[in-house]
Amino acid sequence: MRHCLIVDDSRVVRKVAGRIVANMQFDVTEAVDGADALTKCRETMPDVILLDWNMPVMNGLDFLRALRRETEGRKPKVVFCSTETDKEHIGEALRSGADEFVMKPFDTDILQSKFAEVGLV
Amino acid sequence: MQDTTFNALADLALESTGQFIASSKSYLVEARLSSILRREGFASCDDLAACLKARPNPVLSAEVAAALQTRRTRFFRDNDMLERIVGDVLPRKLKLSKAGRIKIWCAGVSTGEEAFSLAILLHEQERALRGARIEILATDICRSALDSARAGTFGHYSIQNGLSVHRLLAYFDELETGQWQANEELRRAITFRHHNLIDAEANLGQFDIIVCRHVLSGMAKSIRSSVAERLSDSLLPEGLLVLGHGETLTGISNAFEPSRRHRGGWDAIPAARRVAA
Repeated sequence: MRHCLIVDDSRVVRKVAGRIVANMQFDVTEAVDGADALTKCRETMPDVILLDWNMPVMNGLDFLRALRRETEGRKPKVVFCSTETDKEHIGEALRSGADEFVMKPFDTDILQSKFAEVGLV
Repeated sequence: MQDTTFNALADLALESTGQFIASSKSYLVEARLSSILRREGFASCDDLAACLKARPNPVLSAEVAAALQTRRTRFFRDNDMLERIVGDVLPRKLKLSKAGRIKIWCAGVSTGEEAFSLAILLHEQERALRGARIEILATDICRSALDSARAGTFGHYSIQNGLSVHRLLAYFDELETGQWQANEELRRAITFRHHNLIDAEANLGQFDIIVCRHVLSGMAKSIRSSVAERLSDSLLPEGLLVLGHGETLTGISNAFEPSRRHRGGWDAIPAARRVAA
């Protein structure tokens, strides 16, 4: 089974997204911020990461840049998931190595659609 | 909702749009009419049906019938077929076309996602299509859906359903309302018009390709055949009809046969060659 890491400082968002992604036949693990996510990626590199932007300790953008510098860091598809939805922010996420972008709030159709865009459905 | 109310509204949908609503779907009737009920100040569907019966109102009746239609659509739905139209069908047709002009009719487009998906694919294949003049006519029976399609505006959920972030950035701009709007070039590529597929008098001309997906399957069986007949009249010689994934005309209409040239499409059968269904 493929593996999705959900990175968000909101327990509610992790729970809602986790349920949707689990229904899409993914194993799900969670991280509470970028630093936690980087530690978990070094242990086991996931197939896809659903990544929040604004988090304490290490934000999503800093995590993404650090991830892409890791040995296996190009492997996971990264779907950014944020309330920052202006074109400038979306463009910055893509330039930093994101493969797709979800504007919060999201539902099952949106996550399925975005995972399909990166070849995971 | 009383049975008599459901029957009256289901009859209205059948007569006005050809749509068949099974009695098991009465919950859909209430959901789809909720905004009209609110706007017009009716407490229930029973009140609305009673009012339409007591004081016939053609404008409100048409609006109710249009609102009862299934509106489920998304960007790049059944994308394989759309890509086949642009990458395979169009280049072949252009080779045969002396004028370099292709007319496409998207029938039953609702809020326009399908027509815009096609326009995006055409824009991306512009170089391969060598400056051909490709016209897209998009029609629907629901005027409010058409208004939204004509404006090219999409809400938070629809803009993220089926559309990649790369295409979002390339073709859409965020409005102050939080909606996203297709850019002017994309909007100019499509002509939107009100049209009822079951109206025998409404003639839109003839087309090289008709895309009519997930529309016929919502209609009563008794009506599908006559609508298919009219669609065949609206196709130019060698024209192609494209239905939704899983939709068929086999056993429904003798006006079409599965296309031998274009997988997933339907060729019109010349009237002289048709056998009785």
